[in-house]
Amino acid sequence: MRNTRVARRYALALMSAAEETGTLEKTTADLVLLDGITRTSREFRLFLTTPVVSVSRKTAVVRELLAARTGAVTLTFMELLIQKQREPLLPDIIEQFTVLHDQRLGVVNVDITSATELTAQQQQTLRTELERFTQKIVRVRLAIDGTIKGGLVVRIGDTVYDASLTRQLERLRECFVRGASLPN
Amino acid sequence: MAEVRPEEVSAILRKQLAGFEKETDIYDVGTVLQVGDGVARVYGLTKALMSELVEFPHGVFGMVLNLEEDNVGCILFGESSEIREGDPVKRTGRVASLPVGERMLGRVVNPLGQPIDGRGPVSTDTVMPIERKALGVIQRQKVKEPLQTGIKAVDGMIPIGRGQRELIIGDRQTGKTAIALDAIINQRYTHTEAAKKQGVKPVYCIYVAIGQKSSTVAQVVDKLQQEGAMDYTVVIAATASDPAPMQYIAPYSGATLGEFFRDSGRHALVVYDDLTKQAQSYRQVSLLLRRPPGREAYPGDVFYLHSRLLERASKLSEELGGGSLTALPVIETQAGDVSAYIPTNVISITDGQIYLEPGMFNAGIRPAINVGISVSRVGGNAQTKAMKKVAGRLRIDLAQYRELEAFAKFGSDLDKATLAQLRRGSRLVELLKQGQYVPMPVERQVVSLFAGTNGFLDEIPLEQVLRYERELLEYMDMKYATLMDEIVMKKELTNEMVASLTAVLKDFTASFKASLTV
Repeated sequence: MRNTRVARRYALALMSAAEETGTLEKTTADLVLLDGITRTSREFRLFLTTPVVSVSRKTAVVRELLAARTGAVTLTFMELLIQKQREPLLPDIIEQFTVLHDQRLGVVNVDITSATELTAQQQQTLRTELERFTQKIVRVRLAIDGTIKGGLVVRIGDTVYDASLTRQLERLRECFVRGASLPN
Repeated sequence: MAEVRPEEVSAILRKQLAGFEKETDIYDVGTVLQVGDGVARVYGLTKALMSELVEFPHGVFGMVLNLEEDNVGCILFGESSEIREGDPVKRTGRVASLPVGERMLGRVVNPLGQPIDGRGPVSTDTVMPIERKALGVIQRQKVKEPLQTGIKAVDGMIPIGRGQRELIIGDRQTGKTAIALDAIINQRYTHTEAAKKQGVKPVYCIYVAIGQKSSTVAQVVDKLQQEGAMDYTVVIAATASDPAPMQYIAPYSGATLGEFFRDSGRHALVVYDDLTKQAQSYRQVSLLLRRPPGREAYPGDVFYLHSRLLERASKLSEELGGGSLTALPVIETQAGDVSAYIPTNVISITDGQIYLEPGMFNAGIRPAINVGISVSRVGGNAQTKAMKKVAGRLRIDLAQYRELEAFAKFGSDLDKATLAQLRRGSRLVELLKQGQYVPMPVERQVVSLFAGTNGFLDEIPLEQVLRYERELLEYMDMKYATLMDEIVMKKELTNEMVASLTAVLKDFTASFKASLTV
């Protein structure tokens, strides 16, 4: 189970602290950096999750590692996390922070799945249409999946707009089956 | 068979194709976070509604039962082993529902209405939600028609009315299912022409098997088929090997099907066999969804679980067609403990209970109904006048007998009055014995109980009582069929009828006694 509740609270605290000090952009960049470190370095991940390393030593390591690279807010935040022994939640907090940040800026993530690669022209058209439709800034993630045969599957948040050929064929079959069972 | 030309086929296909619109399918999805033991937690699905049906991969359906801050708890109605973490979950926008219709009669289906008797799909036109709110006060009227179970002890002393909820409670192996099955089998007469003439409306039956062995369910279906009862019966089975969520929703499916008959002005009888297992399934699901446990680890809403189910049994007002839904819930107790959580709950919800005792069962008194603590709170209004007249004394006589029985065991000298009461009581107990699957029509019950309560049996040796009854009824059928018909049609015993019945019984008893001395 992910601890999204706790993570959201920490993320919210970090965001408001960054906004107060006017370092939101710097903090966001810091978190991207941290995200990169946790993703690439197995040692850092283990270091975060292990309870064996004492709080004071963890603080010292984090200070040495981040002091030169990140802003003061991020550093203090990391120290707080370690103090409260919530540092294993760092990846979740980063994720929640990104979600909150996107909400502030009015950005939505859109996943577009197509059967073949879309041309730059098509991508541009899609993006403008989607922005008009959602009234928000769209961050597009493209994926290619041959099993949908043709058409597009667009996912905005939790809602899927399925205009794929596979789904159309499925619906056609359902239509025939239903039509066949009608007594007349 | 008429010939089908290929052009015709393509024409039909083209017509259907024309009706097909190529539109984008819009649906909401979530992601499986955790799955196992028949429940799943889903991330996303933020717009999901309570008890909405959701679709997992591999055609498995689930129902939303928990809406939390950041995830949704679902119960699964299928094999959960194929579902993985990260799988997409689709909203369907429908609540869990069941196809209903006359075509369900004679079929064995699972709680989602899918047939499991291997006789092809059930095609019905209507679909109704499994969970429905029970009717209010305005739509109801009091219970007034009898639901004959064909069991002397029940119809005589614990009468059940159409629209009533009567609990059948007892330890394992005391004949709970037997009583319910007899009640179903006895409804066969309500579908005959003779019943139509008497103004008795047909009763459709639904047998809901929850958490039983598949072999037991097969046996029940077989028996119902043999007795010709499957023509007006639907069996809904969630056997022990089905996932707990299926067992949990099974009774609601049964109630929905019963309501279909009720709402169309007909009468239905639904047997929930048994609600103890359903409560256990619900406990399993609730604990897995991390709802806090209460007494006996049941969740806090286990009372509501049964009360909302049994509240759906009702007798509709005449404006709504006067249909009825009678419920016979079954509860299994552990070592006769009726003060456990679930039994006390269900006792307080129902309009009475039939209590079965292992002691009596083993002593050969079958059905093993303890008439002392069995009651029916509303059925009395529904009893026919004839039955009321003969059975009125029955309860009192048996109660007095039970009181004296303890004394009699000491074998001390007893006065004449006490001896007479003991004699009467023991004859009545013998008279109330009845075989399984041999329901008795009302008029025969009236005659045989009349003989008992009016002392015609007092002189007959105990072991001859059953033979007396059998021969008496044969005799009545042969020689006094008109009198029997009169009891059926008038539904009461006038003074003249009592007089002629007394005369007939006097004659018969005398000749029966004579046959004993030979």
